[in-house]
Amino acid sequence: MTAANQGYRPGLVDMAAGQISREIFVNEEIYEEELERLFARVWLFVGHESQIPKQGDYFVSGMGEESVILCRDRAGKVHVFLNSCRHRGMKVCRYDEGNTPVFTCPYHGWSYGTDGKLVGVPYFREAYHEKLDKAQWGLVEVPQLCLYKGTVWASWDPSAPPFLEYLGDFVRYLDLTLDGWDGSEGGTEILGGIQKWRIPCNWKFPAENFCGDSYHNISHRSVDLVGIGPSGSGRRDMQERQMARRLHVALYERGHQTGVYVLPKDLPTPPSYQHSSVVAEYFAHCEEERRRRRGEWARLIGSPGEIFPNTALHPRQPRTIAAWHPRGPHQTEVWRWYLVDAAAPAEVKDFLRDYYIRYSGPGGMTEQDDMENWNYAHAASRGTIARRYPYSYEQGLGFETENYEFQGLRLPGTVMDITETKSSEHNLRNLYRRWAEFMDAGSWGELATWRIARAAE
Amino acid sequence: MTEPINIRILEPGTRIALIDGATAEIVSNPSDGVWVFARYLSSPDDPARIGSEEMIFAQDIVEIRPGD
Amino acid sequence: MSRDEDLTRLLLKQEIDEFLYHEADLLDDRRYEEWLALVADDVRYWMPMRRNVKFGEEEHEFTRAGQDINWFDEGKETLTRRVKQILTGIHWAEEPVSRISHMVSNIRLVEVNPSVEAPAEVTVKCRFLIYRNRVETETDFLVGKREDLLRRVDGQWNIARRKIVLDQNVLLTKNLTFFF
Repeated sequence: MTAANQGYRPGLVDMAAGQISREIFVNEEIYEEELERLFARVWLFVGHESQIPKQGDYFVSGMGEESVILCRDRAGKVHVFLNSCRHRGMKVCRYDEGNTPVFTCPYHGWSYGTDGKLVGVPYFREAYHEKLDKAQWGLVEVPQLCLYKGTVWASWDPSAPPFLEYLGDFVRYLDLTLDGWDGSEGGTEILGGIQKWRIPCNWKFPAENFCGDSYHNISHRSVDLVGIGPSGSGRRDMQERQMARRLHVALYERGHQTGVYVLPKDLPTPPSYQHSSVVAEYFAHCEEERRRRRGEWARLIGSPGEIFPNTALHPRQPRTIAAWHPRGPHQTEVWRWYLVDAAAPAEVKDFLRDYYIRYSGPGGMTEQDDMENWNYAHAASRGTIARRYPYSYEQGLGFETENYEFQGLRLPGTVMDITETKSSEHNLRNLYRRWAEFMDAGSWGELATWRIARAAE
Repeated sequence: MTEPINIRILEPGTRIALIDGATAEIVSNPSDGVWVFARYLSSPDDPARIGSEEMIFAQDIVEIRPGD
Repeated sequence: MSRDEDLTRLLLKQEIDEFLYHEADLLDDRRYEEWLALVADDVRYWMPMRRNVKFGEEEHEFTRAGQDINWFDEGKETLTRRVKQILTGIHWAEEPVSRISHMVSNIRLVEVNPSVEAPAEVTVKCRFLIYRNRVETETDFLVGKREDLLRRVDGQWNIARRKIVLDQNVLLTKNLTFFF
């Protein structure tokens, strides 16, 4: 009996006991199934519209293991195509980004417009006798695409719910990353330069970390000691966190989750970004505007979260979106985008950029320690004996709250308030609960349970 | 046997002679060394093509014609 | 150039070589605080990221200092924090410490100001090969080019500017916990 035959629930992912088999991180067969049952069916983050502002602009990105081209055609429409010639598979674009009228394959010369249509076929008249039906041989395009506040999302599954339905109530938490700090809708832009690097671990290690692993703070003690934070100490501004209710919020039916801080009513937000008076003033001004625009919802401060399955959000300090691309069961390739308010003054963007790169990424003093843990946690789990022993995910099991409310603010999702209890693994369990559902489910019909509930009403 | 031409660097406005005896003028060049977009100026085999714009394949371009 | 000028230049080159090899020794021996003493207070330490770009679009290959996200784009304050982090003894990415060798070669003096006889600032180009081995079998080879501005202050050379051009696109090492 292979690990895959044990069944995902409860066998490998036992939610009742809060235990998960190591097999799901290291097993080759399970990985192959993931590519079909997960990455081919979900919504994935592909890039940002500000990367392709003009007609003909393109950015080569990834979905799961595969290379895709994000581009804007001559009519201004955005597309995501599989980066592979329909004829014999060669990548039609091996540059990272640029502008082009056509994507031409260097192997036999087939050429595609930025709308994906096959427009150039050498010797179409002579060798093909005009029999090739060009309309059938355009670049493979994702059946579903969604543009949301500048971000671009795509799915290979035509039966997947539309993106906003896929998000459900999580949209409010995604907005914490994408809206202006002053509470205006959208208005974020990507800084130039997408970080790409490899970590020797399964993609689920970083994915679960960003779901809301509040327990591993001790691992970052060294960066807290040296003080890279925007107020000159620690790694983040802690005052606002220390006065807030600290929550883990999970959407059970969707598989998304996030940490979030809720500030008390009627108290001013403490100052932040104190290392620069210009930046501190900017954020103080933003806070005022935010409260004016958003009212009680301005009390929400974002913390790391994950859109199922592998898009990590860091809404505040730093502000970044990451995709954990699978590269076999034992390797992850991270792509990291960094965001700022488009309207922020240059000095603010400069400050944030400096902060971001000393915090995140392979040169980031915080993320370096995360990666060391993921690397060797994975390595130590590959052995025959190690695989027999499940991981423990039971922290806080049974102490979840529905309909959580704090001083009039009612939050969607199932909540664990960890202000006094310090930590929980509530959000991590949610990721794997949903993961197991995908691995077991035959189709989206079984996965979109909220539709079944609605139909029953 | 004609020498191969690196069509990647040909500017719009360049006149080219094609393997079937036609001539065309480059309208735009995607700079991929494989295709150019060109307008037919003459076409002994098929005069109806004159004035139309098509993608011309590098291997069908035999000569650069000097400009006026 | 006269023979005397040639010799003066040769001696200066030798001095710069020695400085760069000494710097490599300090880093390999993990004498970080002594290394920081060689770094100017106004240093810019920059490692751009590299894109695969079409022939003719080379100006778009590198991310820009002070404008884009880079691997490094920092001054002495951040470099000092990096050293401090390693010296806490609980920076897990460098604990246990890596075994590392910095090889510096192809050293050339590109520009000497104001003169070879009384050099105050020297622009130096070189190649680096950094071999890092960690824990049991974790091994990285990082190869590339460096362009340094060295400044002489009180008879001692300092690193005033360092541009590191790593020959990679997707970074093939999981972290950059060391200095180039």
